[in-house]
Amino acid sequence: MNAQIILVMIIGFAEGIAVGAGLVAFLSVLGIIPRLTQITKTRHLIKFYEWAIIVGAVTASWLSLRNPILGLPKILMVPVGLLAGIFIGMLAAALTEVLNVLPILTKRIGFIDKILLLLMAIVLGKIFGSLFHWTVFVDGGF
Amino acid sequence: MTADMIYLRLKQKIRVRPGAHLTIGDIAQLIGEDEICRKLETTIIHRIRKEDKNLVVIDVMKVIRAIQRTNSLEVQIIGPTQTIIEVQISKKKLAPVYFVFIWLLLFIGAALAIMNFHEDVSMREVHQQIYKIVTGIDNPKPLLLQIPYSFGLGIGMILFFNHLFKKRFNEEPSPLEVEMFNYQQDLDRYVIVHENEDNGKNE
Repeated sequence: MNAQIILVMIIGFAEGIAVGAGLVAFLSVLGIIPRLTQITKTRHLIKFYEWAIIVGAVTASWLSLRNPILGLPKILMVPVGLLAGIFIGMLAAALTEVLNVLPILTKRIGFIDKILLLLMAIVLGKIFGSLFHWTVFVDGGF
Repeated sequence: MTADMIYLRLKQKIRVRPGAHLTIGDIAQLIGEDEICRKLETTIIHRIRKEDKNLVVIDVMKVIRAIQRTNSLEVQIIGPTQTIIEVQISKKKLAPVYFVFIWLLLFIGAALAIMNFHEDVSMREVHQQIYKIVTGIDNPKPLLLQIPYSFGLGIGMILFFNHLFKKRFNEEPSPLEVEMFNYQQDLDRYVIVHENEDNGKNE
């Protein structure tokens, strides 16, 4: 009995280490945190950003595993949604597909000076796609 | 008197008009005895022909050969060993209709990609669960969370690319500019190997 408990604890702990390391590795590869420190010129605060990631990941994993009810006001969903969106937006922008496609596309067809407009196409497309998804698509179409 | 020596540094890349006559001074910097340098700088090394198309690579060996044909100088090379010459053939502008087509292609593609991503990672269930945890209400369409999320998506991408304002946040290049630069470097490296007659590849 005790052996079983210890085994389960070891398995759970090992899983946590693997997933946690994987998450950090993923974020490191994308380079979102360096980008944010570059924009805000706060490289010296990077230790705090690391902790923000750790605390956020641990809190969210606890919440999603235990499903407590916090009973907070609905309006709180607006900033949470906005920040979640900004993060996912940076993630989508950082994915190398976008970064690799644009230089080739603009050079091939000679739109170097219009790269900003093409970028806006992608950005607006993402916003439109997301809004469409949540308002129309989830209901099963028109 | 010691043997005459000149230092030669080829330029990485230059742009010229079709039919231009390139002198050594056009493609390289020279340091040495003034008179010799002046003479060498006006020596023609290459004439742009039709067959050259829009890219020519001049190897440092060709320059040295040209120098030593008339002078017995020791040439000391510094920097790149070949120059890429881009012939600026005036390209006909692509019609705006192509631009509109590509714009729409990217727009629809980006929209589809984000929807696929949401389905792939079960974003809908996650949003419903977040809504439930925070407010305690079961809402199958938590739009209060999802609409700010959607706009945040756009803001995040713009932040990443640093194009929110025309003015930059700082001097450092954005990831896209770095990527454009890397791509150009890769192209240049390819051209150096494949367009260089002195490499023996074309023989």
